Amino acid sequence: MTTTPSATSGIADDSAELLPIATGARTRAALRTLIRPDRGRAILGLGVLVGATAVGLLVQPLLGRIVDIVADGRPADALTLPVVLLLVVAVVQGVTTTLGLTQVARLGETVLARLREQFIERALQLPADRLERAGAGDLTARVTGDVARVAEAVRSALPEMARSVLAIVLTLGAMALLDVRFLLAALLAVPVQALTARWYVTRAVTVYADQRVANGAQQQQLLETIGGAVTVRGHRLEEQHTEKSAARSRRAVELTMRSVHLVLGFYARLHIAEYIGLAAVLVTGFFLVRDGSVSIGTATAAALYFHSLFGPVNAALVLLDDAQSAAAGLARLVGVTDLKESAVRLPHHRTGSTSEAAVTVDAVSHAYGPGRTVLHEVALTLRAGEHVALVGTSGAGKSTLARLVAGVQQPTGGTVSVAEGKTAPSVVLVTQEVHVFTGTLADDLRLARPDATDADLRTALATVHALEWAEALPEGLATVVGEGGHRLDPARAQQLALARLVLADPPVAVLDEATAEAGSAGARTLERSAEAALAGRTALVVAHRLTQAVAADRIVVLEAGRVVESGTHDELRTADGPYAALWHAWSGSRAAPHL
Amino acid sequence: MGADMSGRGVIRRAVAGQRRDVVVGSLLGAAHQTGEALVPVLIGLIVDRAVVRPDGGALALWLVVLAVVYAMLSYGFRFGARAGERAAEQAAHQLRLDVVRRVLAPHGGAEAGRPPGALVNVATEDARRVGALNMALTLGIAAVVGVIAGAVLLLRASVPLGLLVLIGAPVLMALGHYLARPLEHRSQAEQERAAHASGVAADLVAGVRVLKGLRAESAAVARYRSTSQASREANVRAARAAALQTGLMLTLTGAFIALVALVGGRLVLSGSIGLGALVSAVGLALFLPGPIAVLAWVGAELAKARASAARIADVLAAPGETTGGTTEPATPASGELRLHGLGHAGLHGIDLTVRPGEHLGIVVTDTADAATLLHCLARRCDPDRGHVELDGTPVTELAPAALRSALLVAEHDAQLFDGTLLDNVTAAAPAGADPQPAMDAAAVDEVAATLPGGTSGRIGERGSSLSGGQRQRVALARALAADRPVLVIHDPTTAVDAATEARIATGIRRARTGRTTVLVTSSPALLAATDRVVLIDGGTITAEAPHEDLVRDHPVYRTAVLT
Repeated sequence: MTTTPSATSGIADDSAELLPIATGARTRAALRTLIRPDRGRAILGLGVLVGATAVGLLVQPLLGRIVDIVADGRPADALTLPVVLLLVVAVVQGVTTTLGLTQVARLGETVLARLREQFIERALQLPADRLERAGAGDLTARVTGDVARVAEAVRSALPEMARSVLAIVLTLGAMALLDVRFLLAALLAVPVQALTARWYVTRAVTVYADQRVANGAQQQQLLETIGGAVTVRGHRLEEQHTEKSAARSRRAVELTMRSVHLVLGFYARLHIAEYIGLAAVLVTGFFLVRDGSVSIGTATAAALYFHSLFGPVNAALVLLDDAQSAAAGLARLVGVTDLKESAVRLPHHRTGSTSEAAVTVDAVSHAYGPGRTVLHEVALTLRAGEHVALVGTSGAGKSTLARLVAGVQQPTGGTVSVAEGKTAPSVVLVTQEVHVFTGTLADDLRLARPDATDADLRTALATVHALEWAEALPEGLATVVGEGGHRLDPARAQQLALARLVLADPPVAVLDEATAEAGSAGARTLERSAEAALAGRTALVVAHRLTQAVAADRIVVLEAGRVVESGTHDELRTADGPYAALWHAWSGSRAAPHL
Repeated sequence: MGADMSGRGVIRRAVAGQRRDVVVGSLLGAAHQTGEALVPVLIGLIVDRAVVRPDGGALALWLVVLAVVYAMLSYGFRFGARAGERAAEQAAHQLRLDVVRRVLAPHGGAEAGRPPGALVNVATEDARRVGALNMALTLGIAAVVGVIAGAVLLLRASVPLGLLVLIGAPVLMALGHYLARPLEHRSQAEQERAAHASGVAADLVAGVRVLKGLRAESAAVARYRSTSQASREANVRAARAAALQTGLMLTLTGAFIALVALVGGRLVLSGSIGLGALVSAVGLALFLPGPIAVLAWVGAELAKARASAARIADVLAAPGETTGGTTEPATPASGELRLHGLGHAGLHGIDLTVRPGEHLGIVVTDTADAATLLHCLARRCDPDRGHVELDGTPVTELAPAALRSALLVAEHDAQLFDGTLLDNVTAAAPAGADPQPAMDAAAVDEVAATLPGGTSGRIGERGSSLSGGQRQRVALARALAADRPVLVIHDPTTAVDAATEARIATGIRRARTGRTTVLVTSSPALLAATDRVVLIDGGTITAEAPHEDLVRDHPVYRTAVLT
């Protein structure tokens, strides 16, 4: 028996190549850059909060003063001054805290907005093939989940963390002012707290990573189930999907509970630290009062100071959690915003060819990884104004060639040159993937040309024969379309895409089965729309409905990544080559030869 | 459904469903808060009994008492919080499933006006916020107990001081609640704005390939930027309101402490209470803002939970696309489909009978009319005029789910789901049925050949690792494998190349032999394989005959399918 070891190694590679995640150092650097423009506000906000916290620390000595007054049995009038001072402290603390928190919130929100805007900017610039390798879910999870997590941290954790850390540092300082030995006693709690924090952080990393994965899986399941509700109902898959959603949700709950257990164990250990510190401060007070080095009031103030530390210490330590989760989210956002310019901006295929050719494809090869070559040394020239139809069976490489010509993707070998237009962009790609952007119909169209007037929009719609239905919408061009708005059927959505093409007005247009998604009845209408949209442009049209090929100036047949035929419909139909075979299959007589 | 569909009802069910954990969490939380209240009292006692006149033995004894109190508060917190969190998570889980069930309910309608992203947000974030109320509730109850414990301890030391705290603390709480009210409104507006920004971002990312093809990335970024800035401003306003509330609460509690110190100091000086009682009172006055702040936080959580519960209630109570219909279709269905004077939207006066086992092609010149027809057949809407009958029963009398068990409308944009290729094909198939004939018919073998792992390879979210044409074939195979008595297929091959399309045409014919099959398409290859074709032009039937005859005799038809 012979063995073929290599034959058994065909392991499915279904791990998507996720987008990068920034390192800690890079994340911090990016954060600094994000904050830099608002440095003044950051310093001001922090300064005000320091003031607010420092003022608040006057409470304990004032209370200690009151204890001393009553311990000494002085007249009741002596109480008035410290009590009035307590009131003043309360008012000042309230006002400064409000101001400080407002500043910090404004800073946080500004930085957050800057971050998410940068993220979207970079995300939209990523090359198409990179996005596909990462999977849409990755980007969507980052833009929703991670942004929300960082926002939550900015809104609640950041201000509380700032206040807690300030309270801890300043309180310890105040204890040292009372008597440095109180500070030393208080610090006895620190080793336990430090060990606890380490114990927690090492475990938290994996627990939270698992929790995030489970939450991501839940999110994805819900998106699929809810987004595909019509399909689910139509195919009677309700139970399957409810069960799948329930299982994913249950898993997320389990992992959340695991992290809850961890946090609570963390608190239990912190309680031990509290006890040690408090007992130590009390014992210190006992000795210091006995040898007469501090008053009873001072010992009381020290104990009250330490007691008042519990809240901020616990808050700061437990916020490590939020901070960590936010840092993970941040790293995933920075991972994208940090992508090098070269990684996101294609070294745009050469523009401005010298000859009459509008598009020159020269010895272009393309592979989606080793052994997955889809195009082999393809050469193709489109004269200015020429309409070329690209025909071939599924997987022949038509879409890849279309994307390379459109410059959405970079070939692994060879060059694509496109003549430069008077106005950017020089080439636009419309594919069968329709997406109606949420917002008004006019807003959707203006993505193609932001400065377009209403008249421009109407003209573009009229060109693609879409004006009639667009004006018949409940609120005409102001009708909200897209998800949650007025639903457009795929044919209309595709007409919209063609209207965008008209508005963008590129000299070269690439259509990749742009009429397919509409369904066959709509396809004919769409072909008329497409024809109108392409008038006066150089066009490369990937066609599966051969009517588009018939109408083209020239047909190029692609087979297994190579150009195998080129010519007009009539030439090729009579040539008895692959095109003729396709034509017979398509035109659909029962006598169609089986290929 | 008899359940209360208001936001209040949603909250009530979320809490009542977890009452055991909420009660346990509250009790243990109360033990924790009582312990926390005892700590400053013990500090006062230790100062009084062991420090004023230094006494080592008393110090040791009271430190042991302090240790016991610590053990109580620590364990109370640990197990109380665990119960509270469990209640929160379980309630959120239940709500999440309620939303999923409502969205998937046969009469539909929950998606109207809500993008999937927003609905998912309701099922995750809003469910979480309402569930979190359980945790907030246990903490709130525990905080109330903490305030009471503090007051009782004070009353034992001094009645006037105790009364001061007993009266002062609720006044503070009431003020806190009053101050939280504007925040409630802010919070709702803020959440909606933020959700909008997040929705716009998700929408742009979803359409990223379209944007790239159009080179409209920068226009999209500009649009997002303005939304993001609007959201930022809303959030800053909300944060300012929250900061104001925090500041006011700080001032109020500070003033309260000053008052307690003043009254307590005078009481000590008049000799009616000891120094220890004053220290305890001051300590308690410093402790009390803790539980009071918790109460304010609970108020804010309640505000958020209410806003979220209202959104959940809206989804749960959304009107269905259709109403009524409880009859089960005849079994086994013979598969006769009859349209009587059907009129809806652009369609009018459609009379059509599809005989059991017939393969019928329908060519609709207007795509909107085709969509309307499919919606009426699948009972995604009920027609304005006339009716659709399955085996003699009007479909409006049939339960939508039962109807779909007998009649599958495989829509053109049907979605695939994450899982293996085979999982997708067999999703709707009768248990144990052989999927191979359906896969052969839909030419899925070619898809399997290019997919790593073949039929057991994963196809990604929504089938994202497949091309458009491949997805269509898998969806078609799934519809064929479902083996329904009546199958309506809408444009199954628009992204499939001509050669494969021809193969599929004969495949459908073979797989559905003797089963009523309606093909709504204008693909000549598919139509050529049907028994009869009906042409719907201008919203009504204008011709019916075999494909070849129509191609030969009917110019409108020829234009519709061959050009």
